[in-house]
This record gives sequence, structure tokens and C-alpha cells, in this order.
Amino acid sequence: MAAPMSGVGNPGVKSSSFNSTSFQKKTRSKLPSIPGTRPSVQNGQLLVSTGVTSLDFLLGGGLAVGAVLLIEEDRYDSYSRMILKYFLAEGVVCQHELFLASAQDSPDDILKELPSPIMDDVAMPKPMEQPRLSSDPQDSLEAMKIAWRYQNLPKVQSTLTSSSRFGHYYDVSKTMEAEIQQAAKCHRFYLPDHPNQTAPTHSPMLESYSALLKSLQEVIQKEGFEVAASSSKSRNILRIGLHSLGSSLWGDDLCCCDNPKHAHALTTFLYGLRALLRSSLAVAVVTVPSHLIQNRALMGRIAKLCDTAIALESFKGSERETNPLYKDYHGLLHVRQVPHLNCLASQFPDHKDLAFKLKRKQFSIERLHLPPDLSETVSRVSRVELPGAASAASVCGLSTSANKHLDF
Amino acid sequence: MLLELLQGGDSGGFLLIQDTANYCGRHLLKSFINAALQRDEDVHVFCFETSEEELKEGFQEVQRLHIHNAYEDPLGWTKKAVFTVLDFSLNDLTRVLKLTPHQKPPIVVIDSLSWVLRHVHTTTVCSTLHQLKKGGFVRAIIGLLHADMHQKGTVGSVRHLATSLITVTPSIMGDNCQAKITKRTKSGKVLQDEHTFSIKEDLTVMLLKSSNTAPQQTVQEEHEVDPTANLTFNLRLSDKEREAKEKLSLPFMFSKEKKKAILHSGANIGRILYEPDANDDFDQEDPDDDLDV
Repeated sequence: MAAPMSGVGNPGVKSSSFNSTSFQKKTRSKLPSIPGTRPSVQNGQLLVSTGVTSLDFLLGGGLAVGAVLLIEEDRYDSYSRMILKYFLAEGVVCQHELFLASAQDSPDDILKELPSPIMDDVAMPKPMEQPRLSSDPQDSLEAMKIAWRYQNLPKVQSTLTSSSRFGHYYDVSKTMEAEIQQAAKCHRFYLPDHPNQTAPTHSPMLESYSALLKSLQEVIQKEGFEVAASSSKSRNILRIGLHSLGSSLWGDDLCCCDNPKHAHALTTFLYGLRALLRSSLAVAVVTVPSHLIQNRALMGRIAKLCDTAIALESFKGSERETNPLYKDYHGLLHVRQVPHLNCLASQFPDHKDLAFKLKRKQFSIERLHLPPDLSETVSRVSRVELPGAASAASVCGLSTSANKHLDF
Repeated sequence: MLLELLQGGDSGGFLLIQDTANYCGRHLLKSFINAALQRDEDVHVFCFETSEEELKEGFQEVQRLHIHNAYEDPLGWTKKAVFTVLDFSLNDLTRVLKLTPHQKPPIVVIDSLSWVLRHVHTTTVCSTLHQLKKGGFVRAIIGLLHADMHQKGTVGSVRHLATSLITVTPSIMGDNCQAKITKRTKSGKVLQDEHTFSIKEDLTVMLLKSSNTAPQQTVQEEHEVDPTANLTFNLRLSDKEREAKEKLSLPFMFSKEKKKAILHSGANIGRILYEPDANDDFDQEDPDDDLDV
């Protein structure tokens, strides 16, 4: 269920929601009830929203607590950074604690750019906000004369949403207000503030990664995020965002050389990170500039060491930008790996041809949607490049163009 | 966009000119230096690849141009070098820059980064450039990189740091050259442009033709045939007939209020309205309570 935005400043106020039913599932589980989380419907694992509802649906309801999400950055790091900001904004809205590490931009700069949540006490965005293929303006009740009972139903089910919502929506054009953002507790790690200790260590990890791991461990222990810690106070989730790991600014030559000297630095760090997370109430999102890594075997190892891995490929600057098939979208999204935690099979998304589009109020991930080809002269050559087969949509979503060959 | 970059709009940026053996990017670099000098800005050039005289050629006023000569003795063999390539670190660079007093932060030009990358590790170069950019001591950094001298990963890492990137390639006709420009604005937007230009004797850039992103594909308009045309029966409606059609009230067409009452919005998921009736009112204790005797 989507939780409408209650006042973050005063946690005692509960807003009335129109969309809550009086039926509550009886849970006999020992999972602590933490705000902003819900148990998964598949295996009862505690889930946390990533901030992007379409991504939650793709990952099987949300991000599991104690798991790592790897995002392979797009070429100019625009959309992966956006998803990281959504993740942190969701943490602020759900009153979780944040930990942000970056070598390139100061964490304060990233925190200032978080998108502002769309707050309304009435029901969440109506299904009519899904992308429409026709160019009609917003329908009023007069629009459908005969089939008016179907008015509120979406035209084409191309966005991936589940019927019960979990997570919030954000407006990208505005930044989060300073009071809300400062109400959230955030731990920062900015690499230039931690000068290199030149003590030689025997571990294959770099000093920068060691310092980061140590800092994470301190935060988790001090603030009581370990699962085994005594639950004297109410439990909370720690959201960890690590920006652009593996880039040369972290001191790692993974991206610079074909045969890097520090081939095992990042992989050792990820192993340590995952071990740390498994025993604590924390979630991590890591972005890696994979387009700079020349060695594909290394990239495969990095993806295997994280639980969930997705890759973003933006059309900007590539030849796909002018392809008419892709003109509605900003890029492609590839799901590389989905974890199976405490179960035998994983929930892999049905479709492999996913594309994303960053709209002002929503980051939507959709199946690449081909309209049926009614005219005879459109060339079919461009269809071959399409990854995965996409079946044609239903006809009701289209503007009908006159067909030359009407036979009677 | 090339002219805007030449005017030097925003500060704190790293402009990278990437060239190959086919066309030398040094002419474009010199026109950037010239444009900066004409704006009365201090320019510090660290030159590794050309001699001082060759670099000073073509500039009119050289008062604000400070050249740090690392060409004669780049590795410091004679122990009398002004600047060596191993001095390429944040502390040494700022020390050298502080030797000359200036009112505003200067512009640093590095000719070329390829030379530095061959002797200093890529991660060190990247972190030095990043710290120089963020430090606020320098207004802008312009660097020249020869893309065919390094591995793809190295070129990619340096490109990743740049706020604006200009890739120069020789153009098909004559002496001109083509530049592909990618610029990252502070808000995260990425702008791209392509120009064909040539550089005149006095180091000013003349744009010949600029094409905006990709050529538009012309979609052929199909000659739409009206299906209601050549038929033996009439499928069209006159105005009066259309009015009469719309006035006709169909059996399940309700007024607006009734529609709203029946049609609940999608937000109310599963609201169950239940009025308990007489059959439900039985006492659990007495099993015979529901008998109708």
C-alpha cells in the first residue's frame, strides 16, 4: 500500500488514507515492524523500496534488507545518479538513516539535489497518469459516452506496476526542502577528507576501500544496526549509497588499464560489504562505471558479488538516439542478476526488452512497446536490432490511420 | 556551442581537447589561449611537447601568458629544470601558480596530458586534476589529449572527468576540421553539438557549417485515402444528422452525477460495504437459535 506522505517533521501525526482497507494480514513472524519496509509476498523477506516504483516491481517487490544493488552507470552518469538520489530521497521520506560515500562530488552536494516528494493526503496518482499513446488531453467524464465504465482503466498496460503500491513519487524539477532533508540523519564519507595512510597492508584492498569499509563498520556498530543488537529502542534501516566505486578517483586502476594491478581491490571490498550487510539492517546501492572497465571477466565477477545487478544504457551520444523506435525513451535497462535469498528460484522479470524514461514525476521502466505496423511502406530492417521480441500492443491504444487497402 | 566555450562561460570546468595523429588539436588549443588572453585573463601553460618559442608564435599580447617550460628537461636530468613531469601533483602545481600574483584565478593549460600520463599513473593524474578543479584556486583547466597514444580505459577515465569534451577530426574537404562537442552542465544535462571550422592566421575560429545533432529523417507522408469516398451508399453525416445522433439517449447512458456515484476512482481498492442482515444475527452459544421454529 502506498503510504501518503505524512509530516516528516512530526512523527506522531498519522494521516488518514483513503486507500486502506480494514483487513490486515495476520503475521506471526518475528520480523520487527520498521516504517518504510514490508515483507515480501514471495518469501517473507523484509523489503525496502528503492524510490522508483517500477524498479521495485522489477526486483520482485523491492530491495531485500541486507542486500546490495549494483547499478552499472550509463555513459555520462546522469540516470544512475538519479536512481541513487531517488534511493536516498526515499530514505529521507521513510525516516531511515543514510550513509553516503563519494570520491567525486561532496556528499553534501548530492544531498542538496535530492528530488522533492509529491505529497498529497488524497489517493496516490491515478492510473490515468500512465503514458498515453494518443495525444488526447486529460479525459473528463464526458469523453466516453458509451463505455464510460472503462474510463479510469489504463489504455495499454505497458508500465510495470503492481496493484498494491509501496513507495513514494518524486518531482524531479524541484529539490527537497532543506528542513525535510536535514531532519534525516546522514553519515558522510568524502574520500579527499581521508588522506591515504601509507602503512602497507597485506590485503589486496586499497586504502580508500579499507577506510570506507572501516567507516561503515563503525557506523553500523555505533548506531545499533546489527540484527543481533539489543532492541531497546525502535529499529531503523541504514541506507548506504556508494557513488562511482571503481573509478580512478578512488585510486583504483580498474577502469584505466586492461590488466589492472589492483584487480582484486573492488571485489574484495564488495565481499566485505556483503558480509557486513548480511548481519545488519542495512541496504546498499553501489554504482560502478562499467563502461570504462575493459575487462569483461572482471565486470562479471563484480556483478556476481552483488545481489542484484542492473545496467543502464542511455541513448545520449550513441547512434541509437536517432532510431525512431527509441524516440520515446531515454535509454535501455538490462537486468543482469536477481538474487534468490532463502529460496530456490528467483523472481526474474518476464521481459528482457526494458526501456526507461525519466519523466518529471516518475521514473518509468516499461517494456519496449512497438505499435503495430499498419502501413505497407515502413521498412522492417530496423526491427532486427531490437533486443528480445516485443509483441504488438492492442489496437485500442492507437490512433487509427487510414488503410489504403480496404476491401469490401 | 564552440563559440560559447571559447568565450569561457562557466568556471570550475575541465575542458578536454581530444585529437589523433590525423589532425593536431594544438591549433584549437592556441585559439582557446588566444580567446582567454583577449579577455584579459591570466593563462598558465605547462608545455611538455613544444618549445616555448613555438608556443608563443602567433599571440599578440603575451603579457598575461606565463609558460612553464617542461619541454627542455621534462624528467629533471640536468637538475636545473624549471618544472618536471614528476612535479605534476596538487601541491607543486599550486606552488608554481602562486609564484606569480594575480587578481583573479588563472586558467591552466596543459600541453599535453598524454605526456604526463606516460610518466605518472592515471589515478594520480585524475585525482590531481579533480582536486585542482574543485580547489577553487584555478578558474578553468584546458588539456590536450592524444587519444591514440593510450589504452581505451585511460582515455575513458580522463574523458569521464571532463565537463566539456571536444573531439577534433579532419574533415572530408580540405583544411577544415570537424569538432564534436559534448558538454555537461551543472544540472546534469548533457548537450552535444557538431561543427566544421577552420582557424585563421590570427588564431580566431571561423565556423563554416554547424549541424545540429543528427540529420532529421524525412518521413514520407502517405497519401491518405478517405474510405468514405467512392462508395455506392452514404457513410457521411450532415450536421443535422450529427446533432440528432448525439441527442439520442442510449439505454445505459446515465447523467453525470449518477456516473460519478457508480464509478469509483481507482484509489479505493477493495472497499467492502456490508450490511448485516437477519441471518447473521445468531448467537454462538445457542446452536438452535437460527431455527425458524
